[in-house]
Amino acid sequence: MLRVADVRSGYGKLEILQSVSLAVGEGEIVGLIGPNGAGKSTLLKTAFGYLAPFAGEVALEGRPLVGLRPDQVVRLGVGYVAQAGGLFADMTVHENLLLGGYALRSSREARAAVDELYARFPLFAARRRQPAGSLSGGEQRILAVARALAVRPRLLLLDEPSAALAPRFIADVYDTIRALNGGGIAMLIVEQNVEAILAVAHRVFVLDLGRNAFDGTPAELRASDRIRRLYLGEDEG
Amino acid sequence: MLESLAEFAIQGIVLGGLYALFAVGLTLIFGVLDVINVAHGEFFAIGGYLAFATIVVLHWPGAAGVAGAAVGTFLLGLGVYPLLLAPLKRRLGARPRGPLYLVLTLGLSTFLQSSLLAAAGGDYLRVPPYAGGVLDLSFTAVSHQRLLVLVVSIVLLGGLFLFLRFHREGLAVRAVAQNPDAAQAMGINLRRVFALTLALGVGLAGAGGALMAPLFNVYPTVGFPLTIKAFAITILGGMGNLAGALVASFLISLAEAFSVMLIPSEWQNAIAFAVMIVMLLLRPSGLLGGGGRR
Amino acid sequence: MIARVRVIAVPAALVVAALLPALIPHPFVLTLATQAMVWALLAASWDLLSGYTGQVSFGHAGFFALGAYAAATATKHADLSPWLGLVFAALVAALVGGLAGFPALRLRGHYLALVTLGLAEIVRLVAQNWLELTGGPFGIHDYRTFPGLPAAPLAHRQARYVIVVAIVAASVVAMRALCERTPAGKAFRAIREDEVLAEMLGIRTTVYKLLAFVVSSAFAGLAGALYAYDVQLVSPSVASAATTSFVIGMAVFGGLGTVWGPVLGALLLFGLSEGLRFIGVVYNLIAVGLVIMIFVVFVPRGLAGGRRTA
Repeated sequence: MLRVADVRSGYGKLEILQSVSLAVGEGEIVGLIGPNGAGKSTLLKTAFGYLAPFAGEVALEGRPLVGLRPDQVVRLGVGYVAQAGGLFADMTVHENLLLGGYALRSSREARAAVDELYARFPLFAARRRQPAGSLSGGEQRILAVARALAVRPRLLLLDEPSAALAPRFIADVYDTIRALNGGGIAMLIVEQNVEAILAVAHRVFVLDLGRNAFDGTPAELRASDRIRRLYLGEDEG
Repeated sequence: MLESLAEFAIQGIVLGGLYALFAVGLTLIFGVLDVINVAHGEFFAIGGYLAFATIVVLHWPGAAGVAGAAVGTFLLGLGVYPLLLAPLKRRLGARPRGPLYLVLTLGLSTFLQSSLLAAAGGDYLRVPPYAGGVLDLSFTAVSHQRLLVLVVSIVLLGGLFLFLRFHREGLAVRAVAQNPDAAQAMGINLRRVFALTLALGVGLAGAGGALMAPLFNVYPTVGFPLTIKAFAITILGGMGNLAGALVASFLISLAEAFSVMLIPSEWQNAIAFAVMIVMLLLRPSGLLGGGGRR
Repeated sequence: MIARVRVIAVPAALVVAALLPALIPHPFVLTLATQAMVWALLAASWDLLSGYTGQVSFGHAGFFALGAYAAATATKHADLSPWLGLVFAALVAALVGGLAGFPALRLRGHYLALVTLGLAEIVRLVAQNWLELTGGPFGIHDYRTFPGLPAAPLAHRQARYVIVVAIVAASVVAMRALCERTPAGKAFRAIREDEVLAEMLGIRTTVYKLLAFVVSSAFAGLAGALYAYDVQLVSPSVASAATTSFVIGMAVFGGLGTVWGPVLGALLLFGLSEGLRFIGVVYNLIAVGLVIMIFVVFVPRGLAGGRRTA
């Protein structure tokens, strides 16, 4: 569904990704892990259009994404949930969700989409007039994910959904992720919390210093002594 | 004594409407684009010139002339982002170099002012009042023209607030002001919002210029004193904070009105600057704090 | 290519500047040339603060005016010799610059530019309205210029020109030396590039920012005094925003962060605008505005083509 091939990318003159390739199949959850500075977030940003790669290809179902802006990529069916959610903290829950539906054709469609989201996530229906910033950490993260669903994406890019969350919130977020995937949404998830992602992912890619270091199923990852020592040993989750 | 106070208060309120129109537009541009538009006063002047052109030269009725001036300034403003700011942004990338944008708008200001001078000459052009007559309150009289300015300012600002609060595109503008990256992820086209917001901001200034044309007359530098004052107001209210700009506008206009009791009138203009400097030293985030990103 | 052009252009410009009094003994040209030199000094002083150290000031007209008024007042009312008047003006401007520098320490970017703009406006308002001190809108005149110069009008002008050139050249060389050859200069650049990082590296940014303010305003005041003694009339318009705009345009044209780039920019832009005056007075400011816009966006390094952009 999503194909990333030999991407070289970074910020200005600083090259972070040397050559990275990965793929996300239909309905798959793909995890992207690796040490800090490996370029995981950079890859996500490059795929979504925040960064233009120096070289390489990114394609969504065969359609090239390189050169498109984020607001154009969204309209192709890709959602993006930034690290820490990227919510509009001063706006209400309702306004955040409405904005999620901005790319839809009309205000009416947007409102209908938001109503559907309220049905799916009742906890937000009750809090619709509250500022988004007043929700708990976990609720905010789920709100960010819910917001991304308004346009019915087929692929979601999530940047460290568990970052800075207490363990029970992490469980909530990943329950949501699992449920969404059950509905057929493919996901590419960057994570520092290795245990959380290994529990849900179908495939995992490991990045190190801007290059691919490993790819395989979670089981294969656990079976590899080398990878275990290098990455799993350091990360307690 | 109370009568004088009331008189000053009325004067202050009436002028405050104009300041608000100007400062809110400036704040809107800063809040969304992160750019201080040094040329804001020139769009005020352009509004005046357009009013002159439509009303005195083309003999349009007053209301149509003001509306035409506002729309004309808006359309002109649409060109500023794509032609000037966007190329600079492309060159600078993500590096925040605020002062360079300031220098750019300073250049625009100089260019527009002298272009107006070249095109229309330096004479003070006169525009007849839109509303004759005077409202006679027992302790003072306020000209209908001034009241008109206040009322229209309030209507325009009210419209702006409603737009930002309830309309889909207004929501998008607020989103861009708060978090441009997230706004993009929602499918909002940043370029379009930047261009529109800038045009909206200067359009308000142009409307102000058209409204005040009968009172200030029309000449190339008519907007400049307002610009500097608006900087002070913007800082007082908290840069990027629209409600703050509104409140600060009236605070400054009232302070100026009442100051006549204490200091000679030539020094009135210094009040705004003094307030700005004091504010910047004590509390740079302004009375109400910076809205949006700041 | 650019480097080679620079190596030739700078000495060439200097030689032309030095030879001007002899080559073209025309009073009008000399007047223009003298004024151009004053602008050059002012532009260079602005660059030291704003281009080199990154503290963008929108109020340099204020320091210029302070120097001009200080010199004129001192000579007119206290009969201070113009030579001393120059020093006095520089000191006054430096003092105010230092005072202005303190609040500037806490402000960045937009805020600093706006507060300096406000200060310059206050200077202008004082100049405009405080009749007893500044002569109000009519300004100060009727004060003597440099003593000991030849009496004949043309020779007098030539002598004035030589004095101004000498002082401007010495000042620019001094500023350039400060910026390029001393630890202060390195500190200035570090502060411009990344102030937080500079602090962490142990550079005392407070001291150096204040130094930049003081030095920059001192030379701006000196330029003001030179203006006062050359033109022999000081009015509130010297503190106007148009002055600041012109100076910024010259610096941007010539190249920010080089000290001598703005000198070149000043000479050329002033020459251009005066030349355009023959077409019509208004068009020179149109050119200035266009130059600022085009150069900030498309030719960021200005004519000087400095290695680092501001």
